[in-house]
Amino acid sequence: MPPNGPLPNGSAASPVQLTTPPILGINLGNSYASIAVFTKEGVAECIANEDGERQIACVLAFHGEEMYIGNQAKQQLVKNAQNTITGFRNLLGKKFSEVPQDKLSVSTPVIQHPSLPDTPAYKVKVLQPAPSPLPATATNTPAASQVATPRSEPVEVERILTVSEVTTIFLASLRQSAEDFLGRKITGVVIAIPSWFDDAQRQALSKAAEDAGIHVLQLLDDAGAVAACTSDSADGAPIDCTQLIVDLGASSLELSLLSIREGLAYALATLSDPTIGGDEIDSKLIRFFAKDFTKKTKTPLTVAPATDPQDKRAEAKLRLAVEHTKRTLSASPGAATCSVESLKDGLDYTGSINRLRFDMEMRSIYDKVYAKVKELAESAEIDLYDIDEIVYIGGSASLPGLDESISQGFTESVITSFKAGTVVGGGVGDPTTILARGCALQAHLLVSLAQTSSEELVETFNKESEATSVAATSRTIGLLVPQEDAAGSLGGIWIPLVLKETPLPCRRTLTFEVSASGANTKVGFELWEVKEGVKIDHVKPPKLDDEDDEEEELEEVKEKTLTKEAYLASLSLSPKNP
Amino acid sequence: MASVTVLPALPKNWAVPDSPAAQSLAPVVQRKLIPAGSAYLAHVRRALQNLSFEAHDKLIEQDR
Ligand SMILES: Nc1ncnc2c1ncn2[C@@H]1O[C@H](COP(=O)(O)OP(=O)(O)OP(=O)(O)O)[C@@H](O)[C@H]1O
Ligand SMILES: [Mg+2]
Repeated sequence: MPPNGPLPNGSAASPVQLTTPPILGINLGNSYASIAVFTKEGVAECIANEDGERQIACVLAFHGEEMYIGNQAKQQLVKNAQNTITGFRNLLGKKFSEVPQDKLSVSTPVIQHPSLPDTPAYKVKVLQPAPSPLPATATNTPAASQVATPRSEPVEVERILTVSEVTTIFLASLRQSAEDFLGRKITGVVIAIPSWFDDAQRQALSKAAEDAGIHVLQLLDDAGAVAACTSDSADGAPIDCTQLIVDLGASSLELSLLSIREGLAYALATLSDPTIGGDEIDSKLIRFFAKDFTKKTKTPLTVAPATDPQDKRAEAKLRLAVEHTKRTLSASPGAATCSVESLKDGLDYTGSINRLRFDMEMRSIYDKVYAKVKELAESAEIDLYDIDEIVYIGGSASLPGLDESISQGFTESVITSFKAGTVVGGGVGDPTTILARGCALQAHLLVSLAQTSSEELVETFNKESEATSVAATSRTIGLLVPQEDAAGSLGGIWIPLVLKETPLPCRRTLTFEVSASGANTKVGFELWEVKEGVKIDHVKPPKLDDEDDEEEELEEVKEKTLTKEAYLASLSLSPKNP
Repeated sequence: MASVTVLPALPKNWAVPDSPAAQSLAPVVQRKLIPAGSAYLAHVRRALQNLSFEAHDKLIEQDR
């Protein structure tokens, strides 16, 4: 179906087209990319490319005269790895001398460009069609006549591609997919980038995008794409909240802690760890299946790492196969299979694993993520109990076991997309689509802005803009409604008004009804600045009947605390007689 | 957040706290906003055009 409904033929200026600017949001990961457009219903939607993929592998492969992009290209890693390019995103803006050379590479190695100084590049072999035997009079010849023309064999040539060129080819294909979907030229694009991208990396990405015919409206930090996606939508989080973003990709873990106040967001802390991710999950999983294979076939197989060439080939096949296994595990609690034809010695393999067993195998990875989350919170001097919401992004964060093990350290009321049930079935909480959708929303905002507002206002969306600097509160301010029999030490009911880490100026409005009867009654409140804390008690857990352990482990019980810090004002009113 | 919509009567013996009201709030901290979303747009528009929240509200109303 055409994405914009049945448009009459040739209606270039239909009203539908006027209200939905042809913009594009791109999440360009090091391993996978995704794209989102703005639909006429006014929602950002992650779309599939022509191969039906929403998670598009950032891989480029050359085979004979063909060039493959995306998951098809990834398949080439088994038999044609030396002509398959991966991992180019992280090399953008880097000099050759800055590229670590010790990394074990499963695809074509990064080489020094033969003529450009200190430039990383790739060398691939391609088949070039031999020059046509006929003299070049064919400019106006219909293409069909060329088919019958006998040609000599294509010749094998070496082709050198810089990281920038590879990125350009890849981005151009993403743009093309979106244009095919919308049936219109894309006019503006927002691309998400990791928080650690420096100026050289940003510039290199911008240049590669411009070369791909893409007009970059903004390079937006991943956290910004999340904020654009979650701050406007009703995901159940309070309007003022502290949000943890857990991004578990293929080759890295990225964490950010955001203060979000009525949609205004800033980072309190960020952390990244390039040793935790889906690749490590794959390694554990393929070791599990390799062991199973050996058990079933009595054929030795050692993978991750593999040394024997046959085992290496088997490993490459397994790595491709578990992609499906992991997605099945994320989507449903039942058993997921892994099938590989001719895994080793011509033997086929089919094995399965259920979620329970999988989570057991992955326990150490989940624990590492949790340890990093705690490290991040500590660096921001925030207790996990102060975090209201966890947003998961990145493919590997689709695994429910990760949420189950992490969220245990948070308050029971912490909001996650897993709890809300918005992860599966392409819901709003789907970790694999949030970044692209956030970028599309932001692109939409920027395009509308450019049409209606001053240059000066548009400029404030630049990373360097002064307008991003802001003063924020360092203590929570709220109302204390004095009550004689109030629980707690404050002597009344506490109503937080302006939380700490709120950008200024700010406005908060509360509306009350008053309950007062009798001439002498008054209503009112005091205004206080308070200090928040978390009290940790160690208590004996409730005894279970037949459990009679000598050594009882104490259970940690946390409780949020408030201490009055500074009295600011008070107000008391007497109800007027009507 | 506590959801109190009815403000109960003050206790009979309530009096304005003895301690004098603080002269200033706790010191502010400097932060860097993420330039994303409509809330950021509203924030910078108010700052650039020197608008109060109320004046900005009116502008939004007019744009509709
Ligand atoms: N549904 C799923 N369940 C589990 N794992 C998944 C799922 N979908 C994708 N993955 C895994 O997520 C990883 C890719 O994540 P993502 O798309 O976030 O990568 P990226 O950001 O490009 O990675 P990198 O960390 O290398 O920059 C891969 O390891 C992939 O196998
Ligand atoms: Mg990523």
